[in-house]
Amino acid sequence: MAQKILIVEDDKFLRELIARKLTQENFTISEAVDGEGGLKKIKEEKPDLVLLDLILPGIDGFEVLAKVKDDPALASIPVIILSNLGQREDVEKGMKLGAVDYLVKAHFTPNEIIEKVKTALK
Amino acid sequence: MAPKLNKIKNQTESPEEETPKKEFEELRGTREALLNILEDVEEARKEAEEERDKTLAIIENFPEGLLFFGGENELSSINPKARDFFNLEPENILGKDIGALRKISSLQPLMEILGEELEVYQKELKIREGLVLEVSTIAITSAEEKVGALVILRDVTREKIIERLKTEFVSIAAHQLRTPLSAIKWTLRMILDGDLGEIQQEQRKFLEGTYGSNERMIKLINDLLNVTRIEEGRFLYDIKSQDIIDIVKKVIDSLKQIAKRKRVKFSFKIPKKEIPQVEVDSEKISLAIQNLVDNAIHYTKSGGEVKVSLSYSKKEKQILFSVKDTGIGIPKEQQRRVFTRFFRAANAIRAETEGTGLGLFIAKNIVEAHGGKIWFESVENKGTTFYFTLRA
Repeated sequence: MAQKILIVEDDKFLRELIARKLTQENFTISEAVDGEGGLKKIKEEKPDLVLLDLILPGIDGFEVLAKVKDDPALASIPVIILSNLGQREDVEKGMKLGAVDYLVKAHFTPNEIIEKVKTALK
Repeated sequence: MAPKLNKIKNQTESPEEETPKKEFEELRGTREALLNILEDVEEARKEAEEERDKTLAIIENFPEGLLFFGGENELSSINPKARDFFNLEPENILGKDIGALRKISSLQPLMEILGEELEVYQKELKIREGLVLEVSTIAITSAEEKVGALVILRDVTREKIIERLKTEFVSIAAHQLRTPLSAIKWTLRMILDGDLGEIQQEQRKFLEGTYGSNERMIKLINDLLNVTRIEEGRFLYDIKSQDIIDIVKKVIDSLKQIAKRKRVKFSFKIPKKEIPQVEVDSEKISLAIQNLVDNAIHYTKSGGEVKVSLSYSKKEKQILFSVKDTGIGIPKEQQRRVFTRFFRAANAIRAETEGTGLGLFIAKNIVEAHGGKIWFESVENKGTTFYFTLRA
């Protein structure tokens, strides 16, 4: 069965681009546009991996990540942060909260992101 | 009255009184001269007083806080502005020396900065919420002898607020700009990778150019972010003991392709002798090295050469990094401005349209934040060598 990736991203176009790329690579896609929606889908759908933006309407990505890692039922789901916040403080905070990787959107191509997703799922 | 006067006149004119008359004249002359001198002295005194009052008035009304310490490092005067900063009464502090002043709680942070030597240049001191001072001292000399030190306290609170707002603005703007640039990058990449179907050779060429421009914009935003962080004073973040050779090697490896593409001979001479570890923020020092080497490659024409080397001076306990190129050089009259931000030399702009003018500014700030020095030697059309040192 295809592995399911949840994309939590508020920018519609970016979401579509990355969804298209992941679909091409035979992943199943689920999408959320804000922190609350993302958290709900993580609980309901238990995806194989989450691509998580940080600046989101409502609760931000850091908080979503903290809640996921706090919940024993969800803590094992790998989360890759995909954000345009790129200062070292942000990266360290994200990694400390339990993200498996931290990607600055503008510094990675779609192919490189897919590679990171595949590595995290191994 | 007239007859009386006449009488005197008559008397003085009498022949037997010739000598007294002469003496009288002399006396009168002396008296006049004395009076003149007195008048001059009086005038000079008045002028001096006026001058003193003027100086005092300037000091009293000066918009910056002033403290004057005499030769024995005792506080000999303080203006109202300075007293306001610390809520002080002059009678409690005048004449006291550094040691005694340090015991006054409101003055303690300032005295801490001033130290024993009273030698400070533009140090910031936060007195309380809403009051930040910039402290500088000037040694006052008279006939080449030090007679005291003047401490100048400038209220920079407003500047600090504006600086912070500006930094926040640039930081948010930079983050916001990255999102659409990511979308452009991803779309172009997917088209170029054939994800949306085959594209013609000419279409590819144009899209690759667009992709390159977009990458430059992403780099510019990274540079802007780095500059704002420099100005926030929180640029060095993670100081650890590091192997500098490793750091340089990594940067060199990342730039080899560019040098190859430009057909510039590119080498790194690894020192034979062992180099001690250095205390650096490796990400930042890598950025400084990258900016220097990247410039060297970019501003050297095909067939030229870029040589990177490292050495260690045991005596001076420092590492010397250098990158030597056979490039376009920096015009002599523009060398002074090379490290200022957004500055690009005229021949650099001609040779290479891209470039943000921030690379060397960032490099200089990083090196200096590590306590190192950065400089260069350059001859136009011959080449440039950049150097920096790090304590080790």
